[in-house]
Amino acid sequence: MTGHSGTFRRKPGLLAWLVFAPLAIWLLLFVILPTGMLVALSFAEQRGLGTIHFTWTLDNYVRAFQWTWLKVLSVSVWYAFLTTIICMVLGYPVAYYIGRSGPRTREILLALVMIPFWTSFLIRTYAWITILSKEGLLNTVLMSMNIVSEPLTLMYTPFASVLGLVYNFLPFMILPIYSSVERLDGAMIEAAHDLGAGPVRAFSQVIIPLTSPGIAAGALLVFIPSIAMFAITNLMGGGSQPTIGQVIYNQFTAGRNQPFGAALGTLLLMIFILALYLTKRYRKE
Amino acid sequence: MSAVASPFLPFPVHSLLRKLRGPRMQRSLFGFWTLLVFAFLYIPILLLVVFSFNESRLNIRWEGFSLKWYGELFSNRTLLNAFYNSLIVASFTTVLATLLGTIGAWMLYRYRFPWQQAIGLLIFVPMVIPEVLMGASLLAQFVHLMHLPLGYTTLIIAHTTFCFPFVLVGVQARLQGIDPALEEAAMDLGAPPVKAFWLVIVPYLMPAIISGALMSFTLSFDEYIVSVFTSGATSQTLPLKVYGMARVGLNPQLNALSAIFVLATIFIVLGSQLLTRKQKP
Amino acid sequence: MKMKATLIAAAATTLMLVGCGKPAVTTEETPTSESTASPDAAAPETSEPKRLSVFSWSEYIPQSVIDDFATETGIKVSVENYASNEEMLAKLMAGGGAYDIIQPSEYVVEALVKEDALHPIDHAAIPNLKYIGPDFLNMAFDPGNKFSVPFMAGTVGIIVNTDLVKDEIRGYTDVFQEKFKGRIVVLDDAREIVSWAFETLDIPINEFTPENLEKAKPLLQKWLPLVRVYDSDSPKTSLINGDVALGVVWGGEGAKLLEENEKFKWVIPAEGSHLFVDSLAIPKTAKHPKNAELFMNYILRPEVSKRISDEFPYTNPNLAARKLLTPEQLSNPASFPSEEEMKSLQLFKDIGDQASQVDELVTTIKAQ
Repeated sequence: MTGHSGTFRRKPGLLAWLVFAPLAIWLLLFVILPTGMLVALSFAEQRGLGTIHFTWTLDNYVRAFQWTWLKVLSVSVWYAFLTTIICMVLGYPVAYYIGRSGPRTREILLALVMIPFWTSFLIRTYAWITILSKEGLLNTVLMSMNIVSEPLTLMYTPFASVLGLVYNFLPFMILPIYSSVERLDGAMIEAAHDLGAGPVRAFSQVIIPLTSPGIAAGALLVFIPSIAMFAITNLMGGGSQPTIGQVIYNQFTAGRNQPFGAALGTLLLMIFILALYLTKRYRKE
Repeated sequence: MSAVASPFLPFPVHSLLRKLRGPRMQRSLFGFWTLLVFAFLYIPILLLVVFSFNESRLNIRWEGFSLKWYGELFSNRTLLNAFYNSLIVASFTTVLATLLGTIGAWMLYRYRFPWQQAIGLLIFVPMVIPEVLMGASLLAQFVHLMHLPLGYTTLIIAHTTFCFPFVLVGVQARLQGIDPALEEAAMDLGAPPVKAFWLVIVPYLMPAIISGALMSFTLSFDEYIVSVFTSGATSQTLPLKVYGMARVGLNPQLNALSAIFVLATIFIVLGSQLLTRKQKP
Repeated sequence: MKMKATLIAAAATTLMLVGCGKPAVTTEETPTSESTASPDAAAPETSEPKRLSVFSWSEYIPQSVIDDFATETGIKVSVENYASNEEMLAKLMAGGGAYDIIQPSEYVVEALVKEDALHPIDHAAIPNLKYIGPDFLNMAFDPGNKFSVPFMAGTVGIIVNTDLVKDEIRGYTDVFQEKFKGRIVVLDDAREIVSWAFETLDIPINEFTPENLEKAKPLLQKWLPLVRVYDSDSPKTSLINGDVALGVVWGGEGAKLLEENEKFKWVIPAEGSHLFVDSLAIPKTAKHPKNAELFMNYILRPEVSKRISDEFPYTNPNLAARKLLTPEQLSNPASFPSEEEMKSLQLFKDIGDQASQVDELVTTIKAQ
């Protein structure tokens, strides 16, 4: 949406419209309409077992602006931010290595990155619990090697929550960055080194900027979904720190207040749209 | 430093130091890092494979070697059916999401559609929106507005909806660095736009397309909340069956199933690479 | 392209390993070798098409039981699962599927009856109802059992790892002490937690008025920071792993822990606890209510009920089934509370719109 693309953007002809139509229809049917219903729901009231009365009330929004929910939201955003940064640091070198590998190795490594996540989420998480718990694998190893004298408390902590999040989102950082790395020209990189730039500078001033679309994409694909992610933080973190995803889910179950959940969700959406809009304007300036 | 040392030493220090600081050293460092990260990714997997041979039913203590879970797995029709359903839904979702995401990204890049900005935002909605809201709203959409019976179709539609943004964002990122000369070349060939797209753009986009496909499959295969709302009785997926299992303790049959799937996939990936002789240009 | 082919090939190979050909689309049709034919349950034919749609808690009705029912009656059973009452309600109310059998807890039955959402059951078609103990019949949430039959019951109580905790624990107050900070597990259920506070403060456990919630707030503010794990699905995990030392959990979880290791001890809180009763009921929108009644009758057979107890050591309301259990099973205090304890247990009622406030209170305290 910047740079070259501007010179080539054309007005769509008939063929273009035809090709674009499926996406447009999909968006209409399965994104716009359901979201519209959700926003409408946020102005309703739930009575009894689950019957919704459209009273067009602002109560849900008024309620949403209480400290509890704002705190919960900020905690979720913070976890998401931490996760994104850690994934970037852990994932970039991996993506770079894979992207600069030969074509066969590339494909193997790429698949290998994803394959652990074709196991069921729950058993993966329980495997981590087995590793991190007080009488678990890690502690047993550390104690037997006398590195620690008391077992470490790792499970059911914020550390475990973030570890779980990073673990599950790492591939979503690696893959987009890989995409950007793959198109790097080998000659370009050699040139950067030959010019006498130290490896660190060659990297930070040439390679990273060139792969920035991939980094940005990876950041988006990790940060955004992890805000509302709660299954991981619940299982690994013990559930003592409520997250916005959990709160909204509660409204549809024990909390019996779907319109309130919808209001919280709509607010989340609004905040996101605002953030995206501001980022675009900042970029343009 | 190096300029001073080299006249007095028998080997070329300057180039040695350059080698240490150069791209090859970098590559080894990165390779080592990659190894560590892969260890991080695979240690839990190794653990769960090991536990699939555990005598005890609880996935917590090792109590002896046994193959019984593998045996029981093959007669557990419900679990296998759920696995089969998950594969079907994930496969269809991957194809659909990749198509929608790739074509969508290209169209938005290439042409100026009305409401371009709004569409750009809408794409993100399925990603931002908490899954329970997406599930509930899609359920209402299917049942009340579209009168669709719940089953494979609704599942696939729901999964595709939250998967395609991942593909689209990835492809968009790859498009951002595209060489305009590439497109010009396609046009110059005199080929109609569709052919130009297929022969020139798609190969360029392939890494992003493959990444998107991999992400879609993973997301769909493990999706729980949206599936709760949009599945029917005959399309129960694996996560739906598994989530309740936690109450009684996760059955090691699940470990066995995952172990088989993971090992089979790795085997196939390695195998297909070893068998192919043609390299991609 | 190669990658996609690889993926599809992987799927295909795994499918071949998994069982050639297209598996049955409806999940339960497999005949099993075991069959529980019983003298007083010659399955009569109903005029309905031979299908049954079951919407139940995951893993609560053993697959083998369902398969045997299908074999005996020739009825094709399809099963959908949920992980909480509210999940079931959400899907039921949204008009998601036409279910013939649901498995609601007692307060949900009450709410469904109030909303006239259940199909009345014909006792003549369910003669095995006679096996249910009088303690579990005609309960407040469904007088006369017009709409539901009890499936399994249980309590919530305290489980203690006596290797890690040497003190005597008699009730909630003993559990929530500073010295156990960070070593406690409780259910992830706002209503439950607040009801324990109510019991400690002698407030009626079903009256979640704003005043009562205010009264309970200080106690909860003292309790909740001491909790390490909130887990309704599998609290036994953290207990077995040694990450927590004691907790307040479901009776069934407690029973499993007692079976697992002698170091665990079960205590019904002195301040009071409640009895939950999960029942089978038929939604009004059911398409095959007569088949559903057949199913209910089948579940109530003593041998079938015993099999369920074997897998899920909750409190079995079926007295004839209890006669078939082993002495160990019957002596498990978490499965079968004593007479005295049974008398002290209360029942949850439907609290309707107050649920939202309860959830908010607990979330607020957790967030601090």
